[in-house]
Amino acid sequence: METYSQLRPKGEGLKQKYGEVTEPGKNFARQGIKILSLAAVCSLSLVAQPPLQHFHQTHAAMGTIFTIDLNVPDQATAEQDMDLAFEEIDRLEALLSNYRPTSELSRISREAGSAPVVTDPETFHFLDRSIYWSRVSNGAFDITVGPLLRAWGFFFHQGRIPSQAELNALRDKIGWRHVALDPETRTVSFTNHQAMELDPGSIGKGFAVDSVVKLLREHGVTSAFISAGGSTLYAIGTVPGAAGWPVDIPDPRAPGKIATSILLKDTSLSTGACTEKFFIKNGHRYCHIFDPRTMRPVEGMLQTTVIDPSATDSDALSTVVFVLDPSASRRLLASMPGTKALIFRQSNQSPSHASCTAINWTGNPCEASSPAAKGSQLHD
Amino acid sequence: MIDRRLFVRGLSAAVAASTLVTDSALAQSSKAEADAARQIAPAVDKSPFRLGVIGPGSRGQELVRSFLRVPGVKVVAAADIYPPRFAQLNQTCGYEVASHADFRALLDRKDLDAVVVATPLGLHAQHVIPALESGHHVYGEKTMAYTIEDAAKIVNATTAHKRIFQVGHQYRYSPWIRAAVARVQQGEIGDVTHILAYWNRNNNWRRPVPDPSLERLINWRLYNQWSLGLFAELGSHHMDIANWVFGSTPTSAIGSGSICTYHDGRETDDNVQAVLSYSGGRRFIFTSMTNNAKMGDQLWLYGSKGSLNLTLEDATFFYEPHRIVKTPAKDGKAVVTSASYSPAGEMPYRGPGKPVQVTTAEDPTTAATRAFVYCVRTKTEPIADAHVGYGSALAVIQSNHARLKKQEVEVPASI
Repeated sequence: METYSQLRPKGEGLKQKYGEVTEPGKNFARQGIKILSLAAVCSLSLVAQPPLQHFHQTHAAMGTIFTIDLNVPDQATAEQDMDLAFEEIDRLEALLSNYRPTSELSRISREAGSAPVVTDPETFHFLDRSIYWSRVSNGAFDITVGPLLRAWGFFFHQGRIPSQAELNALRDKIGWRHVALDPETRTVSFTNHQAMELDPGSIGKGFAVDSVVKLLREHGVTSAFISAGGSTLYAIGTVPGAAGWPVDIPDPRAPGKIATSILLKDTSLSTGACTEKFFIKNGHRYCHIFDPRTMRPVEGMLQTTVIDPSATDSDALSTVVFVLDPSASRRLLASMPGTKALIFRQSNQSPSHASCTAINWTGNPCEASSPAAKGSQLHD
Repeated sequence: MIDRRLFVRGLSAAVAASTLVTDSALAQSSKAEADAARQIAPAVDKSPFRLGVIGPGSRGQELVRSFLRVPGVKVVAAADIYPPRFAQLNQTCGYEVASHADFRALLDRKDLDAVVVATPLGLHAQHVIPALESGHHVYGEKTMAYTIEDAAKIVNATTAHKRIFQVGHQYRYSPWIRAAVARVQQGEIGDVTHILAYWNRNNNWRRPVPDPSLERLINWRLYNQWSLGLFAELGSHHMDIANWVFGSTPTSAIGSGSICTYHDGRETDDNVQAVLSYSGGRRFIFTSMTNNAKMGDQLWLYGSKGSLNLTLEDATFFYEPHRIVKTPAKDGKAVVTSASYSPAGEMPYRGPGKPVQVTTAEDPTTAATRAFVYCVRTKTEPIADAHVGYGSALAVIQSNHARLKKQEVEVPASI
């Protein structure tokens, strides 16, 4: 809905904190990531082209706030590109929302237990990719966990701890292995023969970001930054005059400090963390990211960051490496050299210490936080 | 709703329409609901169904997405004068669709089970009528036609060639709107005398144009040649719902509009207002603006006993305070004292309403496209048939006519 949108040209640099405007229970945003936009840096190119101007707009969708930064020649172009992009995000929310009974995903959730449901190629591709990550991660990633989130009170804005009996009763209602996909006929069927709750929360925003990136590129945009609540980011091209779009990854071991500053170019970055969506009972913090295999919130993980050319994949993978043990993540990503991960986990030996694992990452992000001295590493 | 058996027997639509008003409204409404439920129900038949699309632009592709959710449907051919649409369509379908620069080549094909027409409004009749004449069943986007004459020709061609024609008034297929309207027809909010409808947005209604020479093709909604503006593109859905709820088409129309925000060379107004008169003094009021989206897209049905709010996603009832009732003489029992407070006055009610509960609140276009395939497969008359399309076209065209004439105009009778 445009109600929350604002379009304003930016002549000066700005520092923004993302992921602040959130609605409990609906917030998919996991971690604020600070972004320093160097909008004032105009291209010093000698080619006689109009200088690019920077425009910024925010838009509420998918339970979070999307923001887009654009460098385009004029306001009219910016308005059209922004409208197109946010219309696309709204279209995908209408397609995939598990909060809207009218979405295609909700229709599948309702009906695929009774009979195979034929769906459109786009929705089928979304499900296919979701199930792919479930298979590859051996169930660490699973879009069928809706009932678990409900049982643990994450839909009702207040946490609760379900009994083991309650969880056992859910076993048949969840599990990606119950979702059978037939690409020939584009049908989805649930082999447990009951309605399920497909939850796009850990991949849908990335899917939307990828669609927007494709659309903006088709319309000739060469410099843009898309953020889905700060948790999934994509950089198209670079900030004029710079090598990429700057992104600061916070250090969860030291609040307020930056673990590493990077420059993102033509790739995506997604983050998983429990710092914003959790509940505390009896002094224990319960995270909204679940291990579908134990049916319990993930324990001990502080923050994961994944860089991958596909925002759909980085979104899903930021959850995968959040759920898996870092050593298992390392094994998984060994075959994916184009995918980088940075994982902060509480140390088993000493709860007050955290371990840092960098996989396929450029530079040494696990070393002491002093990014300014080292300069920003380009990730493209 | 036209009786299906009458349609099959080939009786004239006028006879069918007259039975609508004379028969018991309740019996009609429950029969209509049963017919609708059959058309909207999950598809059982999965046999191949080959679709041709004339005008696979943004709306055409959205329709294709919905059609591809119907078992058996394959898009086999498309026609467009703007070549980039073909690649977009191939991507939407995930396979290569045969492309035709001339829609007549598409209509000449013998391998189509139905044709979708999603071209600009001013071209609807030019595409729909030859499609029907060449023996194709047609799903035609709203508004059905640009002129009343063209709309009548579509109605006649549908009858003459015994083809299925369904108009893109998908809200007739929305489960929550059907459930809510059925309750209204059973008297839940008394006699509905007024319907207020809004469709407000906050954007300039423009699509990006790769080259200035394509402006009038891509932004056709902004130019009179093919467009009847906001009345047609947004208001036609609400006018259709008003016709449905009131059980008739309007008798006269008042219209106005202006260009108030977007002075960018467009010809159609960026805000419009219409008042449609229905029999018995009943009124439908539509307003659309494009620089404030607060009201969004919604209708309010007002009756003596309550109100109904309809949106793209839900339906909610509100009830008026109880009125005086005549009862048997008091039995002499004492009244028990209590404290009470009523904040009524003239303040608007700001509390919650009573939502209409439905178990299958799916996307209306998904339901409408599935129903169309069912109707073609079973030779059943659609819920949103050519007469429904004609009624809404009457309201749109005459609202626009009144806007241009700056005076109230009569609306011809339905057919």
